[in-house]
Amino acid sequence: MQVERRTLLRKLVCSLRGRMRMKTVTIKQLLSLSVLAFVVSMLPAKSYAELPVPAHITPPVGEHESPVVPQPIEFPHDRHVNDMKINCMYCHTYARRSQVAGIPPTSKCMGCHKVIATDKPRIQKLTEYWENKESPKWLKVHDVPDYVHFTHEKHIRKFVFDAKFPVEDVQQVCGLCHGEVRSMTVAEKKKPLNMGFCQRCHEANGGPGDCWACHK
Amino acid sequence: MSVKVNRRKFLKMLGWGGAGTALTGCDLPTTVTLEEGKEEVVSYLMPEEYAIPGIGVWYASTCTQCDSACGIHGRVREGRVLKLEGNPDSPISNGKSCPMGQAAVQGHYNPDRITSPMMRKGNSLQAVSWDEAMSALTSKVGPDSGVKGDRVGMITGSVSGHQSVVIDELLSQVGSKNHYVHEVVNTSVWSAVCRDMLGDDMPRLNYDKAGVILSFGADFLGTWISPVHNMGEYAKFRSGARGTLIQVEPKMTLTGGNADHWVPAAPGTEGALALGIANFILEKGWNTMEVPNSVRKSLAQYNLDAVEKVTGVSVNKIKRIASLLSERAPSLVIAGDSAGNHENGYDAVASIMLLNLILGNVGNTIEASAKFPEKSLRAKRGNTKDLLLLSKALKDNKLDVLISYNTNPVYTAPAVLQVAEGLSGVGFKVAFSAFPDETTLKADLILPIHSGMEDWGTHVPAYQPADESVMTLQQPLMEPIHKETRGFGDIMLSLLKLHNKDYEKFADYYSYLQAAVANMPADVTGGVSGPSKDLWTNTLQKGIVKAKAAANALAPKLVDMRFKVQRDDSGYPMHLIPSARLGMWDGRHANIPWLQEFPDQIAKVVWSSWAEVHPKTASKLGVKNGDYVRVTSASGSIEAQVYIHKGIHPDAVAVPMGQGHEEHGRYAKGRGVNPLKILNPLMERRTGELATHATRVKVTNVHKHEVLVHLGGSETQMGRRFVRTISADQLRRTEGEA
Repeated sequence: MQVERRTLLRKLVCSLRGRMRMKTVTIKQLLSLSVLAFVVSMLPAKSYAELPVPAHITPPVGEHESPVVPQPIEFPHDRHVNDMKINCMYCHTYARRSQVAGIPPTSKCMGCHKVIATDKPRIQKLTEYWENKESPKWLKVHDVPDYVHFTHEKHIRKFVFDAKFPVEDVQQVCGLCHGEVRSMTVAEKKKPLNMGFCQRCHEANGGPGDCWACHK
Repeated sequence: MSVKVNRRKFLKMLGWGGAGTALTGCDLPTTVTLEEGKEEVVSYLMPEEYAIPGIGVWYASTCTQCDSACGIHGRVREGRVLKLEGNPDSPISNGKSCPMGQAAVQGHYNPDRITSPMMRKGNSLQAVSWDEAMSALTSKVGPDSGVKGDRVGMITGSVSGHQSVVIDELLSQVGSKNHYVHEVVNTSVWSAVCRDMLGDDMPRLNYDKAGVILSFGADFLGTWISPVHNMGEYAKFRSGARGTLIQVEPKMTLTGGNADHWVPAAPGTEGALALGIANFILEKGWNTMEVPNSVRKSLAQYNLDAVEKVTGVSVNKIKRIASLLSERAPSLVIAGDSAGNHENGYDAVASIMLLNLILGNVGNTIEASAKFPEKSLRAKRGNTKDLLLLSKALKDNKLDVLISYNTNPVYTAPAVLQVAEGLSGVGFKVAFSAFPDETTLKADLILPIHSGMEDWGTHVPAYQPADESVMTLQQPLMEPIHKETRGFGDIMLSLLKLHNKDYEKFADYYSYLQAAVANMPADVTGGVSGPSKDLWTNTLQKGIVKAKAAANALAPKLVDMRFKVQRDDSGYPMHLIPSARLGMWDGRHANIPWLQEFPDQIAKVVWSSWAEVHPKTASKLGVKNGDYVRVTSASGSIEAQVYIHKGIHPDAVAVPMGQGHEEHGRYAKGRGVNPLKILNPLMERRTGELATHATRVKVTNVHKHEVLVHLGGSETQMGRRFVRTISADQLRRTEGEA
């Protein structure tokens, strides 16, 4: 069984905190803990390999860092994508049909969570929304300016369906613009999504170069 | 060595430089319009199968921007209506829409919508709960109100379909007959003449069959009867064998601007011109219907010279119009407000209608229309006669309760009628309204209603242009934006339930309409031909209900015409034309920024009022574009900037309707002037309509100037010959014209 660095570190810190509270920590223990911490930090950072880049795509170049957007429920993408192996388009079902990928309807969440993990506080919060006939008010993470006409549907068609790329690996395509969603809880913006980023990818992959293809 | 840079090189360099700058900029973080971490994205709770975020779903409904009842399709995305277009299944709109329809969404999302019931407490209006509002309303129009039925009145705009039925029902339960139906932009005089001379108050006009259309001030492309429908028919009239359009009017309208011959007869003399043309046609024997000798005799006084003297239209022009009418038969002769809204308007329009009779147009370009079989659903068209009646009732203190809906008499009534003052004598005024307009803010109780895109309703167009008559369905295009607004039908139904237990079986107005449509006679179909299993589903889908109409034919007959040109020597030499236009309409759309920004079709002025005068008049007054003038009638005065234009009679000054609001929200309030306010209380003699074009005024220069904000800047090409033209005379000489 692979050990996750993050889980181990968390456990370590917790035990340290508890002992400090009880004032039972000794220098020896502290030393051994720090050695342990060092060993743990040497473990591989991710429990899974880097997302491979699909062979038929020259990936767009650019990185972005921005603060994590606080969401009404700390939705764990990692759990769904990585642990449960749920396809991106199972929930973001509109991506292949429309310009927006769409937030899944609350009914879709409840489809599973009526029975799964009902004891977890996040699911209880979701259930509360559902029972009040409300959808959580998520905050937008990925946005392009209003004068940019971006459509998921065309990109998915070109890079997945027309390219006969296996749909089960679609996260490799999504990840080009959305980053390693499987290592995030709530979505974070990891790519700049600005004109240079789009333009370079369009040039490398034969996307339209006309102004009005996007600005209309 | 100096490098010579010419203009072309300079632009080239600038272009490369600009591109370079832009490309480096491409990787800079975007700082505009991004809503990351700010804007909420709310998913559907339980989406319908067909609802896909980002992809619009189109629903059929009815436009409520004017009373034509155009069928529309509304594009709805993520639960919000974004765009309206015409419904191709509607014979009224034929899949088209007008600027007012396009701008309807700005009424719907208007920031000045009333969002909760309000009641007058002391001197101010305060927000109250619906329970409190409804109990106040019930105490006045409920079953045991103690208010005498005939002291209850209701004033509405044009109304039809089931809204009309519930209004009738409520008033009859209360025991009142006081339903005032008021619209300033109307065709009442035309309808009265059609009823008397043809036996059908709203005959079908076949513009497309006509070879020549002679219109006396009927702005059929702008404001007359059913503009969107007319535009489609006009396009057919102009294609193929191109029809000739002659427009007789003192102020150029959108239709006048499109005419081949624009004839500015002296204001109020349209009837004389029509009789002159009729006389000439009879003299030449070009008539297809014979007229009694007595008529011939009375027409004889309208010889060409006499008519030229009265109307200012040259003998040659009159001859030419008459010969065009006969050469390019069949013709169609129509009359609008600048002909009909005078004290002798009925006689003028009757004289104009005489042309249709003698030219054989009746049964050809003018036919009987298909009437919707159920009478109680037919349109009650607004007029100004009811406004005069209301003002009288208010003066005589005859009303204790007045309910207003979809009309704004405080704004549209001339000041001398003292409607605003009269209203303060009414103990309890209720306004069903979406916007804080002048009448609404005078009310004691304001009930905020849904917008036209949130409410249910049915509309029976007054003008039925197809073989089958139609009723159009108004269905909500989205959930109400504001939690505290209610549907007009729902409020009426809840009142009716108190009076009559039969209504209790309907949970809401929706179920009432559903039942009403389901109970329609067998020959009524839901927008698809042939019998239908599910009428309601079809109606929702297509937006219309079609009904076979009984075969009907027009019965032309002559009426007693006593047309006489009015003389006026009262010291007011000019004629005031309160002009209406597609856009502002009667002023109801002044709160829609797109329509404020939408330039007048002739003057191109935006966001304001102006006084349109002829260059000759302007030079007499010593004014140039943008100078302020005072327009004074016996009933008041207004000041507006001058717009000088050749398309107006030198004796007329036109001030457009629509501006000069004291209320009606942030975009309308305190902008421009309202010409209706200074109208004299003159009445059309035969119909009792307000003679809106009969007021005489004087115009004076007030020696103040501001830049007139209008599109286009210059009226001429400055000799640059972008569009090359030759005069009509030159064309006739060189090319020859049939």
